[in-house]
Parts: sequence; C-alpha cells; structure tokens
Amino acid sequence: MVLLKLLQSLFKALHSEGTPGQVAAGIALGSILGLTPLFNLHNLAIAGLILLFNVSVPGALLGWAMFVPLGFALDPLFEALGRQLLLETPALVPLWTSLANIPVIPLTNFNNTVVLGSLVFSLLAVVPIWLGGRWAVRRYRETIGQRVQQSAWYRALTASRLYGVYRLFRPDT
Amino acid sequence: MKVAIVRWRAAVPLMLFLALIVATWLLFADRVGRLAVERSGTAVLGARVDVRAFDISLLRGNVTISGFVAASPFDSLENLFEADRFVADLDLLPLLEKKVVIDRLAATGLRFGTARTTSGFVPSDGSGPTSQVLANARSWAAQPALQVPVLQIATGTLSIDSLDPRRLQTVAAAESLATRADSSARAWGDALESLDVQVTADSAAAFARRLQTAKPTDLGLINEARKMVDRVKQTRDRLTTLERGVRAGVGSLDGGLAALTSARQRDYAFARSLVRLPPIDASAIGWVLFGPAAVHRFQRALYYTQLGRAYMPPGLLPREQPGPKRTRRSGVSVEFPRERELPGFLLRDAELSFQLGADSAVPRRYAGRFRGLTSAPALYGRPTTLEASAPSVAIDAQFDHVRAPARDIAGGRVRDVMLPAIRLPSLPIRLAPGRGDVSLGFALYGDSIRGRWHVTAPAASWERDSGTAGGPAADLVWRVVSGISQLELTAELSGTIGQPALHVRSNLDQAVSDQLRAMVGEEVAAAEARVRAMVDRFADEQVAPVQAKVARVKAEVTERLQQQRQALDTAQQQIEQQIRRLTRGLRLP
Repeated sequence: MVLLKLLQSLFKALHSEGTPGQVAAGIALGSILGLTPLFNLHNLAIAGLILLFNVSVPGALLGWAMFVPLGFALDPLFEALGRQLLLETPALVPLWTSLANIPVIPLTNFNNTVVLGSLVFSLLAVVPIWLGGRWAVRRYRETIGQRVQQSAWYRALTASRLYGVYRLFRPDT
Repeated sequence: MKVAIVRWRAAVPLMLFLALIVATWLLFADRVGRLAVERSGTAVLGARVDVRAFDISLLRGNVTISGFVAASPFDSLENLFEADRFVADLDLLPLLEKKVVIDRLAATGLRFGTARTTSGFVPSDGSGPTSQVLANARSWAAQPALQVPVLQIATGTLSIDSLDPRRLQTVAAAESLATRADSSARAWGDALESLDVQVTADSAAAFARRLQTAKPTDLGLINEARKMVDRVKQTRDRLTTLERGVRAGVGSLDGGLAALTSARQRDYAFARSLVRLPPIDASAIGWVLFGPAAVHRFQRALYYTQLGRAYMPPGLLPREQPGPKRTRRSGVSVEFPRERELPGFLLRDAELSFQLGADSAVPRRYAGRFRGLTSAPALYGRPTTLEASAPSVAIDAQFDHVRAPARDIAGGRVRDVMLPAIRLPSLPIRLAPGRGDVSLGFALYGDSIRGRWHVTAPAASWERDSGTAGGPAADLVWRVVSGISQLELTAELSGTIGQPALHVRSNLDQAVSDQLRAMVGEEVAAAEARVRAMVDRFADEQVAPVQAKVARVKAEVTERLQQQRQALDTAQQQIEQQIRRLTRGLRLP
C-alpha cells in the first residue's frame, strides 16, 4: 500500500500539470520534511508553505518519501553537525541563547543536535535539490513521460481515489 | 506563461488542517500531558511514575494531576510516594518558550513508602543522568569501606593460619647460637694452640729434670732456671687472659640460651596472632547488625541529592541532556539558560499535605512547604527549601545550587511513628521496632559527606524465621536480642563520597559482644594451646641440640684450660723446687 502510494506520488508529480519548477519546488520542500524529524514545529510551517504556495503537492510527497530513508541514514552526520553548531562553536552560543528565550522558537526543538543538524543540512540542500529536480523532471517529460502516461498500468494507478484528492492541490498553471 | 505564486484555493483546506490540529490538541492534550508527566517523571526519578488522570486547562492556566504514584528506585514493590492530587497554577506565557513555570502547587494526600503490587523498576539504557546517578549510588554502597563482614559474625568460628617454622624467632636464634658456639669453640682452640702451653710446660719439666743433677755453683744454669720460671709465668698470664675471654664468651653463649626463651615467648605471641577471631568488639557488632540498614538509608539520601545536582546544576553554562525518544536518532538537547530569564522549569511554591503512619488506625496529617524547585537555580537565585513542622515532626532541607560548589543539607525527625522492620544481615532475625522516634540528617558539601541516622524504639520486638538457618551465631544473637525490648541505634557517616567512613552503634552491641566473647573464649584457649604446642615442637627440634652443643663447648674449653693451667703449675713448682735446693734458700743476685 505504501509502495502504491509512493508510485502514485511519483507519477502524479512527474505528469502533473505543474511546471518542472513547481514540481521541483515541491520536492525541495518535501525533502525538508523527510530529512528532519517529522514532529517538530518547523515542519508544520513547511507543510503550510507546501499547501499555501503554488508548488506541486505530489512533488512534496515525493520529496518527503524519497528523503525519509536518507534522513535516517544521515542521522549520525546530522547529529555531528548539530553538536558542532550547538556545543562546539562558542561564537554561536549567544545566538542559541537568544533564540532559546524567544517565544515559540524553542518549540521547534532547534536545541536538539539532530533537529538542528538536519534542518541546517536540508536548508542548504534546498536549492541544489530544486535545481536538480527541475532538470530531472524536464528530461523525463521530454523522453519517456508521454509513453508512460498512455500505458494501461498508469491509468489504473491514477484511477484510485487518491488522485481525486491530489487534483484539489494540483498546481495552477 | 505566468504562474501564480500563492494557491489561494488551498487556504480553506489549510485552515481546516490547522483547525484539525487544534481539535486534536483539545481532544488529546490530557492524554499527551499524562504521558509527558509519566515519561519525564520516570526518566528523572529512575523508577516508574504513573498518573491516573491529567487535566489541563489553558484558559484557567491550571493543571490537575490525580493519582500520582512514584515508585522507589531501590525497592521494586515499594512506592517512593503517592499523591492523591496535585493542582498547579501555570504561567501560560513561558509555555511558548517551552518553559514550565508553576506559581503555586497544592499537593494533597501525600503518602510515603506505600506498597505496590507490580515492580516499579524500569529498564535503564545507562545513557541518561539518572542512570549514571543510580549506578554511582550503587557503586558507592558497594565499596569495601561500606561492606559488612557478614560471614565472620555469622559463623563465629576461629581459623588458624598455617605456622611456618621459618618465621619463628626461636628457630632462627637457635641456628645462630649453634653457629656462634661452633665458631667460639674453634676460636678458643686456636687461641690455646697459639699459647703453646703444653710445649712450655714440657720444656719446664725437662729443665727441672736437668736441674736435679746440677750443683749450687752452676750459676749459669740457675739463671736459666729463673728465666724458665718467668717464661712459665708469662704463659700462665696469657692463659689467664684467654680464660677471661672464654668466660665472656661462655657468658655470651649463656645469654644466647636465655634469649632463646625470650624468642619463644615472642613466637607464642606470633602464633596467637594467627588465631583469627570473629569481630567481637562492640563497635564491630553494631556495624555487623545494622550496617547494611544504615548504608541503605544513606545510599538513598545520596541518590536523591545527586539526582538534584544532576537536574539542578549550578551555573549558567549550556547543559546537555538526552533528546526525546523517537524513531529517528534522539541526539542531545541543549539548554541555554540566560540571566534575568525564566528557567526551563520552576516551581515557585508548593504546599504539601501528607500523611504519616498510613498503616496505623489513625493516620496523622501534616503540612509542609516546598519552595524554589527549579532546573536552573542560578536563574532563580535562591536555594530550594523544604520545611514541615508539627509537634511530632520536623523536616528541613535546603539545596543550594545557586553557585558551585553545591551545598545540600536535609534533616528530619519524626516522633512516635511505626518504624519499618530491619532485617539483620545473614541472620534469620528481623527487628520490628514498633512505634518510636527516628531522625535522619544528611549533608553533602561539594564532595564532603555527612550523615546521621538515629532510631529510638522503646518497645521493639524480634522475629525469627522458622528453621535453624544461621547456625550457632544466629542462636546466640537470638538468645541475646530476644530479651531486649529497647533499641537505641545511631549510625554516623563522614568523609567524602569516595572515601566514606561509617560508624554504627547500638545498645545491643555490648550484650552481643559479651556473649560472643564468652562463646569463643574456650575455642580461643584451645586454639592458642594448639599453636603453642606447634611452636614448642618446632623450637625444641632446634633448641635442644643447641643447648647440648653449648654445654659441650663450655665443658671442653673449661677442661682444657684447667689441664693447661695444671701442667704449667706443676712444671713451675718443679723448677722452683730445684732452684731452692741449689741455692739453699739464699737469694742470689
């Protein structure tokens, strides 16, 4: 079932009416959800951005699904990065101290090494992911996208109810 | 083609999504709060914390926790305390900074040390501060300075280490004396030989025979005779000198023989030291009987104090603590306290209503006050205090972690309450103190530790498990203690955490030690007789031959000296007799 939804997300993103830039932006924002621990306040903001801005929601779901395993795999790196920033860079301590005493900000759990490390990493990776995603979607549509869209199994895949929900959030072009 | 940036038609679903989050909060906040209290309480205490009901009202700014149960980290089937209800007035704005500030808390129905039916222990991963504090407390109580020599008192038996004859002074002294006797005999023989006494005596005797045929006019021969007499006298003088040396040497050998007697006395003492006795001095008895119970009390006090230090550290440096448990790696969460800001947790004032003697027919209620419990004492600026006073109860505690080094002091005295039973270690005997007074004081200044536990029970009773477990020592202790109905027990702890010293004394100490001493007295005498016989056997094997050798050397040298002197005297007399015959009594020039 999860695999099915993943496939649905993948193909709906790739074949949506959105531009390659919109799909790539969705993937880039979704990558933040996937790379950072999910239940944190900043991810609520990211989810809001995905819904509010005219980016591809299936792209975001695709990005989320793609980057969750990567997030797990890179946790040791995130922890090391977060530790470096939070504990081993004295120049940043005043910044963290200020943030820790500003309302709402502490609810993001930025003071956790894994959360901060993964958030910084994912923010740094947003632009490369967007650029790479835009190029990949464009290439896909130019090459095999048309044939896939006309295949019987694709039509079966998109006939599920989930597709109806997707249409609500499809990008305006 | 122009692409719109904002998807306005998604605004409604977004609002619905946010509304869903709010609705979820309203529906599950109490459940989430209960889980948060249980999880954080369990993590901090190191034992299971359960909450029956949790009710949070953000509009009124209060939280009510009902049926709060905190298990003991040291006894799986005992609770540290239970509370019927906590009602807390929350400051709401600090919640936006993830800070919990409770202005006022009312705790009602506190009960301590209640029993539980399921284990309150929780598995420990060993990474959190609580796990480390618990491990430290356990290793502290397990260090040799706080271990009780249970088996020695339990068996009450003597043991004798092996007696090595090479360690006996008598044997060594006898061997030395034998060597000295041999060397003395040789030296004296050589000295006698060097005097040539026999040669002189023989020459003098031969000269005397020559004089028998001499005439009075043979003046030259008479002069030679006189010179011979002088030679004999000189030889005798040297012999006399040698005799004096021999007498001194013989005296030294006699002294050596006397020293053997002294050495044997010392060997007896050494052998007695090999008889290892059970600890029958009074202080050791108190330590053996009540040491574990005292260590247990002080261990708990140390644990909770150290726990306070772990979660209420002095200073404003960033503090690490394990991150939240989740599927992803937990990481480390860092607190960044800042001056003139609120700490992460602050309980300004708590009113406590608690019961003592919950197991008695009429439990008594008391009131106390807890102030300034905070995760950042340096921000709060004042020590955490606890006080409760009533005619029969006095509890005071102050935990000053405002600045390093931390200074913790706590003390309490409760009168006329049911005291918990104390099991005597390794013995099937249990003390039921009944009603009495108990006080416990504990102070930890930096690394320096002080503690005092005092129990007075005027109507104590003793219970012995069925069977004959424990052996003679248990019988003896039972005979002694079963007739004693009053208990006065004091345990004092001092030193440092790393090197503590514990002294325990009670009114039972002298009685038990007297009985033990009487019991082992006969065994001691028999054991000492055995080791004395062993010393005699080893010593006699060496001493008797030495005594014989010394006697023989003395006799031989004395006899030889007498013979030599006799020969000289005889020869001198013979010459002088011939001289007198030749000179007819005239004295010639």
